[in-house]
Amino acid sequence: MNNIVEAKGLVKSYGSFRALDGVDLSIPTGAITGLIGPNGAGKTTTLKALIGLCDVEGELNVAGRDPRESRHKLMEDVCFIADVGILPKWLKVSQVIDYVEAVHPKFHRTRAEKFLSTTEIPANKRIKELSKGMVTQLHLALVMAIDVKLLVLDEPTIGLDIIYRKEFYDRLLNEYYDDNCTIIISTHQVEEVETLLSQLLFICKGKIVLDTLMNDLPNTFTEVIVEPQNIEKANHLNPIHIRELLGKKCYTFESVARTELEQLGECLTPTVADLFVAKMKETRHG
Amino acid sequence: MDKFLFGQFQGLLKREVLEHRNLFIWAPVILGLLIFMIDFLVISSLDEDAKISFIENLARFFAGGSPLEMAPAFVFPTLPFLGILYICAILYLTNTLYQDRRELSVLFWQSMPVSNFQTVLSKLVAIMLIAPIFYVAVIFALYVIGILWLIISGLSYDIDVAGLGYMFLTATLSLPIVYLFTVTSALWLLPFIGWLLLFSAFANRTPLLWAIGALALILFLEGFIFRTQFISNWIETRSDIDNFLIVDYGGVFDRLFSYDMLIGLVVGSIFICGSVYMRRFVD
Repeated sequence: MNNIVEAKGLVKSYGSFRALDGVDLSIPTGAITGLIGPNGAGKTTTLKALIGLCDVEGELNVAGRDPRESRHKLMEDVCFIADVGILPKWLKVSQVIDYVEAVHPKFHRTRAEKFLSTTEIPANKRIKELSKGMVTQLHLALVMAIDVKLLVLDEPTIGLDIIYRKEFYDRLLNEYYDDNCTIIISTHQVEEVETLLSQLLFICKGKIVLDTLMNDLPNTFTEVIVEPQNIEKANHLNPIHIRELLGKKCYTFESVARTELEQLGECLTPTVADLFVAKMKETRHG
Repeated sequence: MDKFLFGQFQGLLKREVLEHRNLFIWAPVILGLLIFMIDFLVISSLDEDAKISFIENLARFFAGGSPLEMAPAFVFPTLPFLGILYICAILYLTNTLYQDRRELSVLFWQSMPVSNFQTVLSKLVAIMLIAPIFYVAVIFALYVIGILWLIISGLSYDIDVAGLGYMFLTATLSLPIVYLFTVTSALWLLPFIGWLLLFSAFANRTPLLWAIGALALILFLEGFIFRTQFISNWIETRSDIDNFLIVDYGGVFDRLFSYDMLIGLVVGSIFICGSVYMRRFVD
């Protein structure tokens, strides 16, 4: 499978702070990739680098182009929704559609209008008069009316209530996504996207600390509720994380044979949220 | 020009007009209304004889004259509009690239397939070519309403108003001169336009203060290090109103193709290229 994103050794510093510290990425075409990390981990900087909005060192290729050289050409094939309401507040809904229609060669006005007709967004209102949920819906309507190869979503549903969040992802998957389109989602709300993802990336302190396909997750990571008599054996297998679970010890292992672990106690596949906590603690505490 | 690129550029210009409609449209409209109201109140306050005499004198002054020859004289009454246009241009140039970054909408604009060069070019065209059209349109509307009102008043006093027709023709013929003058003066002032745009693209706050501060620092350093005043003299000559206030076609074309103009265009273009470069990265 071809990769739509290839990045090697991305480095970005703000003064003495290293926002990206040698990020390597490979995202296959057609993947739905989750970029997950704590605040200040480098998620937004990575996404901005992918679409040419911040200057980074390192090798970078997105949809066959270097975003640093030809952002405007790249944006014919890439769409971006940011974590903040970035639609210009002084524009009316109809005016923002007019604008995108004028400047984007792959925009289909009828598709955007059809999407908007299923919402309560009035065409003659200014964006500053819309609720945050409506602004996100409007941005989604614009994005869904564009035929692109890559959709980059930076915390797209932050601050929205559960109804808008669910509707956002439902419409994205059912009405937009197909095998020719790749989606990168950065989010804190891991549980909401867990079932959508085909690739998982964890980022911490400007480094990718996990890069795995969701299908490979059960083979690579195992959680074991270790029987008290097996604690010593479990400690020798280098767990990446240990937590308390209903008075018992729950160990998370990486790349340890399941047959071996089954002798220690009940084996489970960790949720993405549990795995995230495990990997972050492992990274932070060495 | 590629049809799509043309439509794209039209979209960019429309965006500028919509975003800055207060500076492009409402500022001249309000000034026009203000001028009309003052004129109306002054003329209305005259007694009947003075009013008749005023209209008769106007009609007589323009009757039979050559509208083309008299047209340049009509540039002077438009100076309040040009003054407001320059103030609005300074506000526009210092805020246009800065405002996008301040309200984060730059992420939306940058997520569209529009290059930074196209964006900056659209802003230059908007303020140098499009904004003066709105100002000239308002001046024209003011002439139409004002002269129509004089004609109606004149007719009610049985005055021969044919001269007022000439007046209207003269006023209308002055408008292309006003427009050409604003465009030529914008080209003449391109170094200042580029300088303001550069700081609009660069400053994280108060771009006007940055632009003035940086210039003051350069002037101070030039005086302190080289003991010269070359830059301040150059700025003084270029911003001297006598050097760019031209009210006839010949003067406009002489200015357009002068050596001084060329130097200004080069300096201005360097600053504009700087603003395109600064616009590249939004963080």
